Amino acid sequence: MLFWILVATLTAAVAAVLLLPLLRTAAGAEAPQSHDVEVYRDQLEELKRDEKNGLISGEDADFARAEVARRLLAATDAVKASGPVSSVRRGNRLAQLAVILILPAVGLCLYLRTGNPDVPDAPLSARLANPGDDMNILIARAEQQLVANPEDGAGWDVLAPIYYRSGRIEQAAVAFRNALRILGATPVRLGGYAESLIALSGGLVTNEARDALQKLLAIEPGDPRAQFYLALALKQEGKAPEALAAFEQIVRTSPVGAPWLPLVNQHIAGLKGEAPGALAQQAGTPLGNPTGEDIAAAKDMSAGDRTAMIEGMVGSLAEKLKADPKNFEGWMRIIRSYSVLGQKDKAADALKQGLAAFPADGDEGKQLLALAGELGLKADGGVK
Amino acid sequence: MIIELGHYALVLALATSLLQAVLPIIGALRNDRALMEIGSVAAKATFLLVALSFGVLTYAHVTSDFSVQNVWENSHSQIPLIYKFSGVWGNHEGSMLLWVLILTFFSALVAVFGDNLPETLKANVLAVQAWIAAAFSLFILLTSNPFNRLLDAPGEGRDLNPVLQDIGLAIHPPLLYLGYVGFSVCFSFAAAALIEGRIDAAWARWVRPWTLAAWTCLTAGISMGSYWAYYELGWGGWWFWDPVENASFIPWLAGTALLHSALVMEKREALKIWTVLLAIMTFSMSLLGTFLVRSGVLTSVHAFATDPTRGVFILIILILFIGGALSLFAFRAAHLKAGGLFAPMSREGALVLNNLILTTAAATVLIGTLYPLALEALTGTKISVGPPFFNMTFGLLMLPLLLAVPFGPLLAWKRGDLLGAGQRLFAAVAFGLVVGSAIYYAQNGGPVMALFGIALGAYMIAGSLTELFLRSGLGKVTGAVALRRVSGLPRSVFGTALAHIGLGVTLIGIVAVTAFESEYIVEMKPGMTTDAGGYTLRFDGLRKGNGPNYSEESGHFTISRAGVDVAEAWSSKRFYTARQMPTTEAGIRTFGLSQLYISLGDGMADGGVVVRVWWKPMILCIWLGTLFMMAGGAVSLSDRRLRVGAPARAKKQKKPVLEPAQ
Repeated sequence: MLFWILVATLTAAVAAVLLLPLLRTAAGAEAPQSHDVEVYRDQLEELKRDEKNGLISGEDADFARAEVARRLLAATDAVKASGPVSSVRRGNRLAQLAVILILPAVGLCLYLRTGNPDVPDAPLSARLANPGDDMNILIARAEQQLVANPEDGAGWDVLAPIYYRSGRIEQAAVAFRNALRILGATPVRLGGYAESLIALSGGLVTNEARDALQKLLAIEPGDPRAQFYLALALKQEGKAPEALAAFEQIVRTSPVGAPWLPLVNQHIAGLKGEAPGALAQQAGTPLGNPTGEDIAAAKDMSAGDRTAMIEGMVGSLAEKLKADPKNFEGWMRIIRSYSVLGQKDKAADALKQGLAAFPADGDEGKQLLALAGELGLKADGGVK
Repeated sequence: MIIELGHYALVLALATSLLQAVLPIIGALRNDRALMEIGSVAAKATFLLVALSFGVLTYAHVTSDFSVQNVWENSHSQIPLIYKFSGVWGNHEGSMLLWVLILTFFSALVAVFGDNLPETLKANVLAVQAWIAAAFSLFILLTSNPFNRLLDAPGEGRDLNPVLQDIGLAIHPPLLYLGYVGFSVCFSFAAAALIEGRIDAAWARWVRPWTLAAWTCLTAGISMGSYWAYYELGWGGWWFWDPVENASFIPWLAGTALLHSALVMEKREALKIWTVLLAIMTFSMSLLGTFLVRSGVLTSVHAFATDPTRGVFILIILILFIGGALSLFAFRAAHLKAGGLFAPMSREGALVLNNLILTTAAATVLIGTLYPLALEALTGTKISVGPPFFNMTFGLLMLPLLLAVPFGPLLAWKRGDLLGAGQRLFAAVAFGLVVGSAIYYAQNGGPVMALFGIALGAYMIAGSLTELFLRSGLGKVTGAVALRRVSGLPRSVFGTALAHIGLGVTLIGIVAVTAFESEYIVEMKPGMTTDAGGYTLRFDGLRKGNGPNYSEESGHFTISRAGVDVAEAWSSKRFYTARQMPTTEAGIRTFGLSQLYISLGDGMADGGVVVRVWWKPMILCIWLGTLFMMAGGAVSLSDRRLRVGAPARAKKQKKPVLEPAQ
């Protein structure tokens, strides 16, 4: 409200200042030639000086004097002829109206089009002093500390999962790697590191990720997340029987009603239902990324919470993408997330929007299409 | 709220400009003082509003308010305070706002100091200024809004372009813009005169201080930019004929021509129409420069084509203003009265020669800059018009001009005596030859052209001093009298002499560096030495360090001459983490007017480092000369003799002039 009061005050002040001359009575204006007379007189004086100094010859000075004098006479006549020009005070109503109308009209129309009156200022010092739940500030603060002291393992430990959750996967991988290097291996760090790598490679369980997962299992045998990804790696390599066995092993060791079981069962069903030959083609199906996230989070969440969390994250990502569609990573993530949540229509819709931001003939566009192919989406918005 | 208030102030400034663009012109037509008066008031109000807006953007940068997209993209919480300030204009949006700020600043100056102007002229000038201000404010608001907000404010900025994190670049753009935009006043005066259909006798005198001020600032801006490029880009060049540089150099050439033709106009009322045209062209070249730099057309014609909003907008502004002013000129020029007569061999004639050459030179540089763009747009072929083209064409054009410079001030008005002037310059010619030969022998084996170039520079310096010498009558009268005579000379005489001396000094610097510079590229390990320009450099080793927002690796060098250590230098490579960009910080040591320039290259596998060393003889002359030119402009500007008072007051002010005037 204060803002609009200030806006109104500013507008009114400018309008008042502009109206002031319109309300004064005008005096007569001088003839336009009166300036010329002054200049010509000055030029004659100057000529005299120049002649004295030998800057112009006597003969030429006479010519020049005649030229200037002619102009001087003409100007003097003009001034006399016009006399003091009287400016009649005329009706300035129209001008007054223009001042009163145009300032607020142009000002408000344009401002409402370009401005964000509701967005408050956010000076960094104030945000740092009172971060609240401002995730960006928490990250920045931790980052600043890490720039000063890059060997602070605890800092990396805190930052890594935050990076991962806010979609800065590459930085997450670096942070997990640093934490591992400085503080040593723990299941959480190894798992996070592996998941970041898997997400970076678009759902593919890479060799590096597999090494990390195997180390994890060495520390904590029977970790379902590591087992799941390793099984997935087998599936991606086309080793269907081994993958099937691994998935079934997870089912056997999991407690009844574990939240990840439906997903594991889905894989088992997929592996059983398909001919061994077709499996090789399915290699690389990127079920890893959001699913892995589910599992990590699901460790201490009920199934309902889990879905709510994912949907919340997807929702905020969708908002971000609406504001800034030039976010390729974002589109990849959201398409994958929707298809994991089973919302194929939304996934197809997101694909269409993503392709609008990154045309299909570009590199990013091709990656989007490739992802769609893997997930069984069609670029024209339908579902295969 | 503060941010949004700054945004609104800019919008309101646009609205005020629109009123200022229309009402005073109507007032001038109807001879209505009240409406004309609105021009002055609105000009001051617009300036204050834009200043408020600029202040708010600065506030956002200084407080690192990353909810402002512009701050997020071009600032960092850890950079030194000065770069938080300079970051405001170290980017497209902010620099356009600075452009408009300076434009409205000049309008306000006209409003405040323009009491001596005829009311209709002042009203029209302010209206034309307001058209320009309105066009560019709209451009900012619609295509380059610095007040765009981010709803989810990031926690850290992306940092200011590291190349711009430098004191030189903190001052360079404002100076350059003061020059660029200063010419808008000359443009507005020309347009206003054309709108009225008459050129007042005092027109040239009114325009003179604006031209001088703009020219001085532009000289400073270009010089500063050149020195910055020299020490920051790390390979020792000081002028690249780069399109961005040319974009500022073309208005400078046109402005220099304007400065000289205005001289003829104010003295003899000759060249009136030409001067008006030149005033239009000078600012048109500034606009063109703005278009070239700001539209992105320079990086690549195709990059421009993919996101043409900004470029097309400026192009429309360009067409509107240049086209409009030239059409106005075409309509009115035939009705304007031409001025006085003069013989070809006279002061006027010399100034016409100056104008001919300077405008041709400006056209040459313009063609060299635009031709590659046109070719790429039409055929898709990418060519680059490099220094060889410019050195050949521009250099040849400058030669007669430089030879003629000392003659100008020595020729009489209306009809001069070339032979007499030549005789008076005899000493200067002799001096030039002596200095040229001396340098030639000192640098034994230098190219013959260098001898000629340096002789030319020395001749210009001596020739400019000849003018002062002759005016003082030294030799004919006693020293005391001569001193009194010199101190009584009008300041513009000193201004002329200083500027012309400056040109000579710069020329000497350019020729000396081009001809006698030596470059050494060596791979060095700690403890190794190399010779450069008579000095011996010892590489002492590398040191790693951290700045506020970068990490760096600096090499330490000890410089000795004949076995005695005389200086040491640090040369570093920096890496800015936020932008992932490297920069070089050359180690530069000054010896007299010459410099030793050390640039650190890549490290080798065996622990050595590639080091580039340049010996730059007399290089400081290049910028020293521009300092002289600026001083000349400032001294000339301070000459109150040619100020024209308001008619009523002018009579009272008229004092008897005791000392000889030009």
